[in-house]
Amino acid sequence: MTCSELKDRLDAYLRDALTPTEAAAFEGHLSGCAACAGLLETVGAPVAGTAALPRTVPPGEDLWPEISARLTPRRAAIPGRVVIPGWLLATAAVLLVSLSSGITAIALRSGPAAPAAAEPPRLGAQEAEFAAAAADLSRTLEQARGRLAPATIATIQRNLATIDSALAESRRALARDPDNSALEQLVLTAWRQKVDLLRRAAALSTES
Amino acid sequence: MRRLGLLLPLLFALPAAAQQKIVERRIAVDADVSLRITNMAGLTRIIGWDRDSIAVSGTVAANGSFFFGGRGRYAKMGVDRPDETLAEPGSTLEIRVPRAARLYVKSGSAAIDASGLTGEIECYSVGGSIKIEGALQVVTAETMDGAIEVIGAMEVTRLKGGSAPVTLRRARGDVLASTVGGAIIAVEALLNRADLKTISGAITYDGAVQPKGTLEATTHSGNITFRLPSTISAELSVQSFAGTIDTDFFPKGRVPKWTAGGKEWVVALGDGAARIRMESFKGDIRILRR
Repeated sequence: MTCSELKDRLDAYLRDALTPTEAAAFEGHLSGCAACAGLLETVGAPVAGTAALPRTVPPGEDLWPEISARLTPRRAAIPGRVVIPGWLLATAAVLLVSLSSGITAIALRSGPAAPAAAEPPRLGAQEAEFAAAAADLSRTLEQARGRLAPATIATIQRNLATIDSALAESRRALARDPDNSALEQLVLTAWRQKVDLLRRAAALSTES
Repeated sequence: MRRLGLLLPLLFALPAAAQQKIVERRIAVDADVSLRITNMAGLTRIIGWDRDSIAVSGTVAANGSFFFGGRGRYAKMGVDRPDETLAEPGSTLEIRVPRAARLYVKSGSAAIDASGLTGEIECYSVGGSIKIEGALQVVTAETMDGAIEVIGAMEVTRLKGGSAPVTLRRARGDVLASTVGGAIIAVEALLNRADLKTISGAITYDGAVQPKGTLEATTHSGNITFRLPSTISAELSVQSFAGTIDTDFFPKGRVPKWTAGGKEWVVALGDGAARIRMESFKGDIRILRR
């Protein structure tokens, strides 16, 4: 075993993860190499110290009353769980969809996805999350658009327009048939595609 | 002086090829080396070989600077250029690597062509095409606008494309493939699990599915065509909202009255052990015998 190989296996040795053969080779090298023996001593001591620490440290018994006392006033200020009505979630979703599409359109000067009519609250909440993610990614993309070639921006625009068009079409169909779970899935699939495309585009613009 | 005056314009007019720099380098590495390659424009060709070394040869664009370093388990190489967004001039690198190498390849407009590999590869490109051939454990390829072609039996394949086609030939194992407008084409496939998704591209699947395997194909407006063996055992689940649904799997007079309109149609072929699901918003769906 060489010094370099020993360094590679040092962590495994300290974790007792080497096979007996590997461990024997490791220790064989140590016995004849002062530099590696010194390295083991330097690295091994803190690791051994860490290993000696207890797995769990129970909090002191006198700690909780003080924490509890500080929490109580805040709890009192919250009368109970806030129940957000479905129509509010749906409205928030529509607003976020519009915001996301608007930001994307500004970022890439492409056409926006059409906002939808009322829809099931559960879907509305999920769309709101996708729209928020899309808005974040669009902002990142806008900040770094100077690092992308014009042809790349055109490609992203074209792909986003395709997705936005599909999204709008699926959402219109869902507005006509709001209980259709398969249509909901198509809407969510389009959202996933959109967020994924924006994520990839943002990664390109920040990495290149 | 007069001669010099005649020569100078000629020198400036030398073709770009003549200004390129030739590289030829080699280093020893481990058989499962992790190699990171960056070549934004031109061509990156990677060939697996049975030696524990990396050898690179090729030409580097005049405005590019080649780098190559590492040993043992890690190495990296590539071409740095002042403006990575430009497609020209490009560099051509032919890189031989141990077959079991783990590769990360980044490209802008450069084509990536990898063959003879058995390890893992990740390829990221903006507009360059990606072609991977071999029997790798894991293949990951993402491009915004380039075509992707994967040939051979990989264990896990993850592909993300844009508006260009994604093609799988003789695919095995598990496949995740998605595009925006590009077609997804699987030829001579025998997959265990597959999730194929596109917005407006077509999905064409020609092959079979492993017993107890699951295939899913979803499009918005692209057509879906499955060509399956007549002896296949699978439960088919088919759904289209505004497209047509058609099959030649049943004798005349026993054709299920499948129609579009959003209803999900489920039918078992054979013992129905495998599951195949096809769904489109307005793309047509066809299930045909091979």
